[in-house]
Amino acid sequence: MKTYDIYIVGVGGQGVLTIGDLISEAAVKANIPISFFPTKGMSQRGGLVKAQLRLCSGDVGPSMPEQSADLVVAMELSEALKALPYLGKNTEYLLYGNVWLPTAAMLGKAKYPAKEKVCAAIEKAGAKLYYVEPKALPFYEGKPVRDNLFVLGAIMANTGLQKLLSAEAIAEIIAQKWPKAKAANLTAFNGGLNYGVL
Amino acid sequence: MSGLNVAYDSLIGFAYSGTNGGMVVYVADDPGVTTGMCEQDSRGFAIMSDMVMLEPATVQECYDYTKFAFELSEAIGAPVFLRGVTNVSQSHALLEYEERLLPVEKEPILKKDIAKYTKAGSAICTAQHKALISSFAEAEKIIRVKGLNELKLGKKGGIGIIAAGVSKQYLTEALVLANREGAAIAEENISTLKLAATLPFPVQELQAILQNCSVVIVAEELEPHLEREVYHLAYKLGMDTKIIGKMDGTYSRLGEYNAGIIAQGLFAATGKAVPAVLKGGITAGMELAAARPITTCSGCPHRGTYMAINAAIKHLGYKKDEIMVTGDIGCTILGMNPPFHTLWTEVSMGASIPIAQGYIQAGVTKPVLATIGDSTFFHAGIPGLINAIQQNVDLTVVILDNGWTAMTGMQVNPGTLQDYQKDPCQQVDLVKVVQGLGVEQLWLTDPYDLAATTKIMQEAIDTKGVKVVIARRECAIQATRRKVDYGKVQVIQEKCTNCKVCVNITGCPALVLAENSVYIDDSQCNGCGLCAQVCKFNAIQKEAK
Repeated sequence: MKTYDIYIVGVGGQGVLTIGDLISEAAVKANIPISFFPTKGMSQRGGLVKAQLRLCSGDVGPSMPEQSADLVVAMELSEALKALPYLGKNTEYLLYGNVWLPTAAMLGKAKYPAKEKVCAAIEKAGAKLYYVEPKALPFYEGKPVRDNLFVLGAIMANTGLQKLLSAEAIAEIIAQKWPKAKAANLTAFNGGLNYGVL
Repeated sequence: MSGLNVAYDSLIGFAYSGTNGGMVVYVADDPGVTTGMCEQDSRGFAIMSDMVMLEPATVQECYDYTKFAFELSEAIGAPVFLRGVTNVSQSHALLEYEERLLPVEKEPILKKDIAKYTKAGSAICTAQHKALISSFAEAEKIIRVKGLNELKLGKKGGIGIIAAGVSKQYLTEALVLANREGAAIAEENISTLKLAATLPFPVQELQAILQNCSVVIVAEELEPHLEREVYHLAYKLGMDTKIIGKMDGTYSRLGEYNAGIIAQGLFAATGKAVPAVLKGGITAGMELAAARPITTCSGCPHRGTYMAINAAIKHLGYKKDEIMVTGDIGCTILGMNPPFHTLWTEVSMGASIPIAQGYIQAGVTKPVLATIGDSTFFHAGIPGLINAIQQNVDLTVVILDNGWTAMTGMQVNPGTLQDYQKDPCQQVDLVKVVQGLGVEQLWLTDPYDLAATTKIMQEAIDTKGVKVVIARRECAIQATRRKVDYGKVQVIQEKCTNCKVCVNITGCPALVLAENSVYIDDSQCNGCGLCAQVCKFNAIQKEAK
């Protein structure tokens, strides 16, 4: 029994749960057992959102043990630190360096961590870090695309998840799920696939 | 769980009377607190009311046990608990399901049985208690026949693990982890008792595992209800079996468990030190994360109400921290967070008004305010207000009327517009309700109009007796869904001095700081215009509608 455990963190509204949904659907289509535990909490009001996905799960519970994630994905720079307890020596960490400032931090009344410190904490915990630059987000018809799909593309291009799921299958699900936004969404996903983090 | 807390008064009565048809009470506890409620263990309620407690551990079990819970309830004539925890209740997984069985259409049963369904009388109550105890015992038999609780005995003298609910789902993984880290536990030395039904306590199975093992681990999240029963049984059996759980300090009463945590018990059972990799994760660096308090949505009308309350307190010459403002359940409680910091308390549905009254009657002479949302007021605020009117206290009650039950996902409440009331439901007029109670000092205001609302708050606070201010404006999320257009709000860049007063006072997520000025994120702004009303330089302008 070896599960492939994914931990995703971000802020409500960033599409963390959509990433989880898409990975779950792709796993189901590939006949891979999956347990997907999203934590919505107060997400609608800009709070923390996290999700745990356990692929190849047979007889396991919804919450993964600490220090043992295979893959961690963070959609926001500061929230990235919330996943630290799940990092172990075999963890791949894909960090999308988007900064979503809480009001107090925006006003300079509260601290917000520097990128270098976040990256250092992740690497100190023993994970292999892939940093994805938000400025690399592609545009479609003059507007920036959905960054969660861009990040999912970068996940599929760079991490061990590609051994379990195929990018083609995910692209197909994206196209079917939102037919009206197909072109824009595939621009996002393919942009991630072609984004060379390493 | 909070839903059960407010229903608990009735639940005890139901349990003691018993039921005619199947009655299943679903409750979800939140170990680890992801939703901001008390980290309580509702199994305590089941103990209090002698009710069966089923604890599914997977999505499939949630489905299967729901069906069984109804069958069991019908068989014993008593309500049955089905308890989820957050990570089970919110999980998604593949499910095998049957075709949905709908109740065969029948006439409602009108059964008059005064001795069963009333309580006033010693003989009646004693008989009901006796019946409850006997139905509870009957449930234990049915659960055993059904085989819900899975006992597997290993070699005598080995390690026993009793795991309840979601904890049983971690046993296999925990053993793999423990052995990977050097616990060296042979599988044949392990006895397991996986519990799906924790109450009534599965006494026979607990005794069997106690008698088979030299050490017993009890893995259950939150409170040590089962563990205490295991100690109790060990005492009765005259056994000095080593018991590992919360009461020896191995496991915590806080938070949710996982395989790593359960594995710590396996190390405790072998007497070996727990390896660092199983002692939780690395936390160094987490303290750097920015605090992210949840706030009211952009355009939320409650923002205007809290701004007005804060301004009124200031204009009347009080310090913010000397005027008590009680809060209540729902979106309205977000007034506790920055930048408002208006609310002092949150207890339970409707408690804002009686708590405020209590402070006044205890001798607080400065003004006291109570705030409550419209649905919470309809649900549980009215009795408190009646009491305040009867006692004629000097209290200002602010009802934040956004027309919806927003926090829990936008349900229709009695005050929601008639257009959204499903036939045959009808809208109840909040103003008439308040007037009907005898409130003479009543103001209706639009929280998007800051000056008017502030003036009304001041007037209300300065008036004697029970005063009610209804701050009425539809929930911004719902108004946006209905495509209500409040017009565009813009920052005139040349006029903006970057003083940030707008951000400081409103805390609106649609206001963003650029290098030398503030700008408005059009994708978030709904045009409420509250920020424009606090700008001293007329730098924020709302287009006329």
